[in-house]
Amino acid sequence: MPDFCRLPNLFAALAAAQMAVLVIAFAPAPVQEWTGERLLVASVFAQWLALLSGILLCKLRGTLQRLPLHIGAPTACLIPPVVAFLGSLLVHELDSAFAFGYSLPGAYRLRFALGVSAIAALLGAAVLRYFYVQAQWDAQVRAHARSEVQALQARIRPHFLFNSMNTIASLVRHDPVTAERAVEDLADLFRAALGAGQGESTLGEELVLAERYLAIEKLRLGERLRVDFQVAPDLPRDLPLPRLILQPLVENAVLHGVSRLAEGGEITLRAQRDGNRLKLDIGNPCPPPRERDSGGNRHAQSSIAQRLAHQFGPRARMTGEYRDGYYAVTLWLPLN
Amino acid sequence: MRVLVADDEPLARQRLRDLLAELGGHEVIGEAANGREACELCDALSPDVVLLDIQMPVLDGLEAARHLATFEPAPAVVFCTAYDEHALAAFEARAVDYLVKPIRLERLAEALERARRYGGERTAAMVRALPEAQRRTHLCARLRGSLRLIPLDEVHYLQAEEKYVVVHHSRGEDLIEDSLKALEVEFGERFLRIHRNCLVARDELQELRRDAEGRVHVKLRHVDGPLEVSRRCLPQLRQRVRLL
Repeated sequence: MPDFCRLPNLFAALAAAQMAVLVIAFAPAPVQEWTGERLLVASVFAQWLALLSGILLCKLRGTLQRLPLHIGAPTACLIPPVVAFLGSLLVHELDSAFAFGYSLPGAYRLRFALGVSAIAALLGAAVLRYFYVQAQWDAQVRAHARSEVQALQARIRPHFLFNSMNTIASLVRHDPVTAERAVEDLADLFRAALGAGQGESTLGEELVLAERYLAIEKLRLGERLRVDFQVAPDLPRDLPLPRLILQPLVENAVLHGVSRLAEGGEITLRAQRDGNRLKLDIGNPCPPPRERDSGGNRHAQSSIAQRLAHQFGPRARMTGEYRDGYYAVTLWLPLN
Repeated sequence: MRVLVADDEPLARQRLRDLLAELGGHEVIGEAANGREACELCDALSPDVVLLDIQMPVLDGLEAARHLATFEPAPAVVFCTAYDEHALAAFEARAVDYLVKPIRLERLAEALERARRYGGERTAAMVRALPEAQRRTHLCARLRGSLRLIPLDEVHYLQAEEKYVVVHHSRGEDLIEDSLKALEVEFGERFLRIHRNCLVARDELQELRRDAEGRVHVKLRHVDGPLEVSRRCLPQLRQRVRLL
C-alpha cells in the first residue's frame, strides 16, 4: 500500500489524472471542440478528484493496511471511483445551477457521474497496482542487500578456525590452561560472528572481540605478533556500533601484514577522542600488497564502510593507506 | 625417516614433533619457519620427507615445493594446510599426500608411508601440476656451492652466459640454470629485453642513452656501467618505455 502522504506518490496520482484529461481531449470526437478554457476546467476537476482520492488513501492507509490483503486492496481500489462519483454529482449540480455548460446537460447527470467514476476506477487501479509492484521490488532489493551484508558480517575465514583448532590441539598436551583460554576466546568470536545480523554491538564489545581475536593469533604466531592496544579511558564504551567492525580490520592486519613477514611485527590499535568524534587507528607493518589478495582486503573494508555509512551517514569516515611497508586504517565515528 | 618440518607457527611445529615422536621411527632433523628456510635446510640436510605448510611468509609452501622439485635428489613433499585449497585439489592424485589441520596421527602415519614408498619421484610431477598462473617470487641459485634464493624484487638484470644465466642483484651475482627465454616468458611483465643475452628489471630502468657512434645503452639505477641495447631490441624497448 503506497503512502500518498508522500509528495512523489501524490504527484504520480495527479499526473495520472492529468493524463486522462489529455487523452480525452485529444480523442477525435464529433460533438464538441476542446477550447483552452474547457481543458483548464477539466484539468482542475480531474486534479481535484485525484487530490481528494490521494488524501483519503493517505488518511485511511493505517486502517487499510490492517485489513487482510484480499479485502484491503479492493477497498483501496474502490476509493477513487467513489470519490469521483460523489465529486462529479456535486460538480454537475453546480454546473447546472450556474449554467456554465462545462459538463453534460441536466438530464445526463447520472451518466456524467458514472463515466467519470469509471475512468477513476481504471486509473486508480492502474496507479495502485504500479505502486504495489514497485514496493514489492523495492522490498526484494532491500532484503537482498541486508542478507548480503549479514553474510559478509558472519564470515570468519575457515583458515582461522582450523588453524586455531590445530593450535589448541598442540596446547592441550603442554599447556592445558592456555588451551582452555583459547577455547573460550574462540567461542566468543564465533558467538559474535554467528549473531552478526542480529542487533547492535557496542564500542566496548567490539574492542573486547578484537582483543580476543588477537589473543588467539598471538598463540598461533608466537613472538612474531606483538600488539600495542591503547584505548583512551574517557571513551563511551556503550557507544552503539554495528557488529564486527573492528575484528575484520585487525584480521586484515594479521593476514595481509604481520603473518606475511618472516620477522613479524607490531599491530597498533589506538582509540581516542578527536573533538566530538571517536578516532580509531589500526596500523601494521606489511609487505607490498599483492594483486591477488588486495581484493579480499578491499572487500572487507568496503563492507565495513557501508555498514558504518548505514548507521551514521556521512558523519562516519574511513581511510586506508599503504606506505613504505606500513598499512594504516583510520576510522572516524560520531560520538553523539 | 629423516623429516624436515616447515611451518611458520611454533605450536603447529610442536604438534608435528609430538605426533612424530608418538609414531616412532622418524627423526626430525630440522625445523623451518618459512619457505626460504625450508629450501635452505633441505639443501643442507637432505631430508627424506618435508612436511610443508602452505601459508608461510617470504616463500609460501607451493613455491617452496617448486624449488624443492629441482633438487637432486628431491625430497618427498607432504603439504599441510588449514583448509582445502583449491590449488591442492588440482594435483591431489599426483602429490605424495596432503594433510589438513588439525592433523590426525593416523593420517600422518599414512602420509609418511606413502612418502617412503614414492620418495622424491612424485615431487617433480606434482609441481608440474601446480597452476601456471602462480609466478615464482624468488630465483633459485644452486650452482656455486650452497643454495641461494634471490627475491625477484632485488634482481637488477639477467645476463645469459654460455649455459647459464647470471643474476645481478643487490647482494651480488649468482648463476641459475633457467634459460633467459623461459625467464622472459614467466616474468615478462617485470623485465625488458635489451639484447639477445640480457633482460633488465623494468623498475631499475633509469634512462636510454645514445653515444657518438649511434649505439644505444641503458643506465640502471643500481648498476654502475651502461648496458648495450641491440638494434633488434630497440624498437620494442622504446615502445615499452613509452608506456611506463
